[in-house]
Amino acid sequence: MANESLYSRFPAPIETPPPELLINRELSLLEFNRRVWREGMDPETPLLERLRFLSIVLSNLDQFFLVRVARLKTQSLANESSHCPTGISNADLLDAISGKAHDLVNDVYESFAGLVSDLRQAGIALVSLDELDEEAHAVLDEKFESEIFPALTPLAVKQKRPFPLLFNLSLNLAVRLQLRDGGRRLAVVQVPATLPRLIEIHAGKGSQKTFVLLEEVVARNVSRLFLGYKVLETRMFRITRDADYELDDEGAENFIHAVEEQLRRRRINEPVRLELQSPASPSLTRLLQKSLRLTDADIYPVRCPLDLRGLLTLCDLPGFDTLRYPLMPPVGMIAPIDRQDLFALAAREDLLFHHPYESFEPVVELVRQASVDSKVLAIKQTLYRTSGDSPIVRALEAAALNGKQVTVLVELTARFDEERNISWARKLETAGAHVIYGLEGFKTHAKILLIVRREPQGIRRYVHLSTGNYNDRTARLYTDMGLLTSREDIGSDASGFFNAITGFSDPPSYQKLAMAPLGLRERIISLIERESVRAREGQQSLIRAKMNSLIDLPLVMALCEAARAGVNIQLCVRGVCMLRPGLPDFSGNLKIFSIIDRFLEHSRVFHFYNGGSDEVYLSSADWMPRNLDRRIELMFPVDCRAARRKVLQALDIIFSDNTKAWDLQTDGSYAKRSPATDEPPIRSQYKLYEAALRQLEQQLQEAHFQLRPIEAR
Amino acid sequence: MPDSDNNTNSVIAAIDVGSSAIRMAIAQWDASGRFEELENLSRGVALGKDVFTDGHISEQCIQAACETLRGFRKTMDTYGVQKYRAVATSAAREAVNTDTFVDRVFMRTGIEVEVIDGPEENRLTYLAVADILKDEMRKGNKETLLVEVGGGSADISFIRNGGPVHAGTYPLGALRLRQSLAGVDRGPGHRVAALDRYIHTTLETMKRSIPFEKVSEVIAVGGDVRFTARQLEGAAKHLYSIPRSDFLQFCDQISRYDEDQLVKQYHISYVEAETLVPALRVYKQLLEKTAAETVMIPTANIRRGMLLDLICSSGQGNIEELSREILSSAREVARKYQTDLNHVDNVASLSAQMFDQLRQDHGLDGHARMLLQAAALLHDIGLFVNSREHHKHSQYLIGSSEIFGLSARDAEIVGNIARYHRRAMPQRSHPSYQNLEAAERMEVCKLAAILKIANALDKDHTQKVQRLELEHQDSEIVLKAHTRSDTDLALEQVTLQKKADLFEEIYGKRVTLQQIPGAD
Repeated sequence: MANESLYSRFPAPIETPPPELLINRELSLLEFNRRVWREGMDPETPLLERLRFLSIVLSNLDQFFLVRVARLKTQSLANESSHCPTGISNADLLDAISGKAHDLVNDVYESFAGLVSDLRQAGIALVSLDELDEEAHAVLDEKFESEIFPALTPLAVKQKRPFPLLFNLSLNLAVRLQLRDGGRRLAVVQVPATLPRLIEIHAGKGSQKTFVLLEEVVARNVSRLFLGYKVLETRMFRITRDADYELDDEGAENFIHAVEEQLRRRRINEPVRLELQSPASPSLTRLLQKSLRLTDADIYPVRCPLDLRGLLTLCDLPGFDTLRYPLMPPVGMIAPIDRQDLFALAAREDLLFHHPYESFEPVVELVRQASVDSKVLAIKQTLYRTSGDSPIVRALEAAALNGKQVTVLVELTARFDEERNISWARKLETAGAHVIYGLEGFKTHAKILLIVRREPQGIRRYVHLSTGNYNDRTARLYTDMGLLTSREDIGSDASGFFNAITGFSDPPSYQKLAMAPLGLRERIISLIERESVRAREGQQSLIRAKMNSLIDLPLVMALCEAARAGVNIQLCVRGVCMLRPGLPDFSGNLKIFSIIDRFLEHSRVFHFYNGGSDEVYLSSADWMPRNLDRRIELMFPVDCRAARRKVLQALDIIFSDNTKAWDLQTDGSYAKRSPATDEPPIRSQYKLYEAALRQLEQQLQEAHFQLRPIEAR
Repeated sequence: MPDSDNNTNSVIAAIDVGSSAIRMAIAQWDASGRFEELENLSRGVALGKDVFTDGHISEQCIQAACETLRGFRKTMDTYGVQKYRAVATSAAREAVNTDTFVDRVFMRTGIEVEVIDGPEENRLTYLAVADILKDEMRKGNKETLLVEVGGGSADISFIRNGGPVHAGTYPLGALRLRQSLAGVDRGPGHRVAALDRYIHTTLETMKRSIPFEKVSEVIAVGGDVRFTARQLEGAAKHLYSIPRSDFLQFCDQISRYDEDQLVKQYHISYVEAETLVPALRVYKQLLEKTAAETVMIPTANIRRGMLLDLICSSGQGNIEELSREILSSAREVARKYQTDLNHVDNVASLSAQMFDQLRQDHGLDGHARMLLQAAALLHDIGLFVNSREHHKHSQYLIGSSEIFGLSARDAEIVGNIARYHRRAMPQRSHPSYQNLEAAERMEVCKLAAILKIANALDKDHTQKVQRLELEHQDSEIVLKAHTRSDTDLALEQVTLQKKADLFEEIYGKRVTLQQIPGAD
């Protein structure tokens, strides 16, 4: 402990955060989506990538309404007082959200309109049916008759009866009908989700690609479903319902069953938003609004098409490479990895992987080698949001069949992903693996793999820890860091971790790891405070932390305390950030920025200068109460010098980005950095890729010059 | 023994079914003798909670224990562990349904749990402590108190100059204390005061056997005290050394919290929280009674001791080390009963010399050798009561003395050996002899026969014979006694003829004495 008197020279610690220090998290999330939109409208961004960004903004908004807005509305209806520490009332907040969300949706669709015409010039045309010739119409009519019509089911909307149950976020057609006697009716037709949204016209003719939207074909022919009626108006719409739920895992005989049940329930919750094709007649709007019990602000009139996710197939269209980012295939290892003994490599020194610049394949290969290695006794792993047909799952299955002890914790309650999780978990179990379907009360978000191996010198444990999931698909899109080590202390901690989550043991006291909810937050706070103490003593001090969200108030407070103590604090927070930088009394010493580029920034990296003996930690956890209190998360140190240097160099590059970085301003908005006139542009994701290539080159050279002495026999 | 082709056997496990938790350690040792703990599992199962109130292990606890041990079994199977030992301590020792418990565990998990007594528990813990404190404990003139507060009982040993002098098991287990004070519920302050009174009363009774004020060093073992060490020193260590004042202050600080607060404050489980304050109060009072300036807290536990013991029993370790401690404790008991130490030391030495040269004839191991020496040191303590029938007095005194590291079973054997060092030959009509198992009875006979002769060789308590050489002939064993040239062995010759009866019957050989003078 430092000299007590030192503290007296500094202002007293702040007990609770003053409201002006905080930014509301919902508004911050909308700001994040605004940055994504800006990337999507940036003329520098290739056209098809822009389409992808615009689609991401809309699907982010879907989730936002589904969960956050739904929760706020429920609270508001129940007259609960605000939960937001900024002190904003629920009603004011909902108003503010609605204003910003409407603006954002309008902006996205405006950009989309421009994008459609740009794409058309580039050879990809999304056209309306009116533009088509006779021949094309004939083909479409035929298609409607044979493929689309059989998949359509009209639903009548009757007065005084509940509105038809429509799937959450499904695309529907509202049809206003007139009877022969002059009476009016409303009907709903779901656009079949099983058919592709885009229909190609004149396929194979010329290099120009032409598409029409499925829903337009449905709309044009919809009268076929309502013989004897006159169709007055057809409009697309989409309903977002409350999907915020807490899974009750008590008393559920079969956990899988409970999740399946939850999926079914999701579509009958209260609507929170209506997206409606504009312009719609006032009478249709009123009718839908009344039936769904929505306010004016809940209605989002949009120009077609709704839900851009269905258009993402365009992004993968073959032959339009110039409309996409240049390829950056993940850099592999020095030799073909299937010929490398990864265990021998990892036994020699810790390996640090930086994805997606570097390939995820070694991690997959490690599990694959383990599955057939006679020395391997056990493989234990957490799997969260892993695709069912992933090579890791196949390797684990093979390992179980080969008689290895395989323990897998699969997390079924990953939001919106349950359906994908369930089937393959059952398959693993059939192969003989010990499958744990989550832990009561906690989601397991930690990413850890333990391989126990019997070697001539004794038992040796190999541990892979990561900031990202064991998902080979996202490992090509998300930036993450992983550490493969055979250190005894971490091996022992890893065993303890798995003994705890399998229920074989109570949670151990860790040597190297820190685990949420048992002390991860406290660990971070003590690391931050150590830096404060050094700053107060007049030493040089620095905290650099990179994460996706900063929402946890105790950590926000700790950071402010450190900033006030004079610690140089730089934060790279991709998404929501509740800490307001630049307030002279609190956060003047704090700089926060966000990077939005082709890869989704996902790694959580914390660097403490620690008086010159730098410490670096990686973690699966964001600085959010949810992660630190209600999830099983891990933080681990990078103790090996070479690996630590690699992380620090990566941080240097990331924090110097002046091309895709956005600085958080004191007013809560973000300003995009641009290189000063005498400064070279630094785009960190590209620089990191170059670094990965250079590393490989260097290894190749070293391998070339390596001398291999022959040991005496 | 590590086997280069298949080192399955080098992974061993130790399970300890305690009063508040069931724990397991899995370890390996490699060719270079390096010992590494691979796994440490612990699960709170409060067997003691019910035992210390109504004497039964509850059905719920039995099931929880089976569940836990099944998990342990799976973990052992991962490493292909063949060699392990599972022991249960005070809760299982005291429960009326122990047999049911042990059987249920075996049927459900295949793990055979052995219920061990206090001295065995002490011995195992001591092995671990001694391993860490090897050098520390040898350091010259000092008196040390070794304390472990478990769930059901507290084991306290008094060590002088590195050798245990007194060892006792006292009803000061943390869980037991907590249960017995369960009625006192007027806030932490009252509970702590009641605890302190209770502990104080028990410690008072110890004053006779332990000179607390002379103790200059306290070694504390146990989960609660390790928790304290971690809180005070942070990083994990092999051996913590906590200043007296820091330790006492922490005990007081933590006593202010109730269990809910402890769980919240320190991120520990309720099972851990329940024992923390009662255990620390015991350590605190003991420390206050001594003059020790620091508390040494080795990360030693019974499991570590069991692992070391398992390695020893496979020929890896050194049984001499432990024998030394036990014999030093036995000798201390002999001193307490004002035995002629020169005589018994000589008898013990002669016994050992005979034992070693008769290996082909008795086929006993090093453990038996240690029991023989202990019996030799203790055979005369009955004289303290009365010289008539003193062999019988010796026997019951041995049974009621706490001899460090000697299990109840061992003590019984030692008592029997001492009893038959004179007069009547072992007979089935003697109840304490009959209580032994057949193999143990044979062991007693073989060892008592040796003791009887060794004792005869120092009939006049002048230690004339220092070195003994045995010459094996067809039907006779010649004891070649090296003496000084002016020594007369006439008395010993006569005595031997009377005392060789048991030997001749057991070993089927006559014994003659031949003096080899000149060992000046």
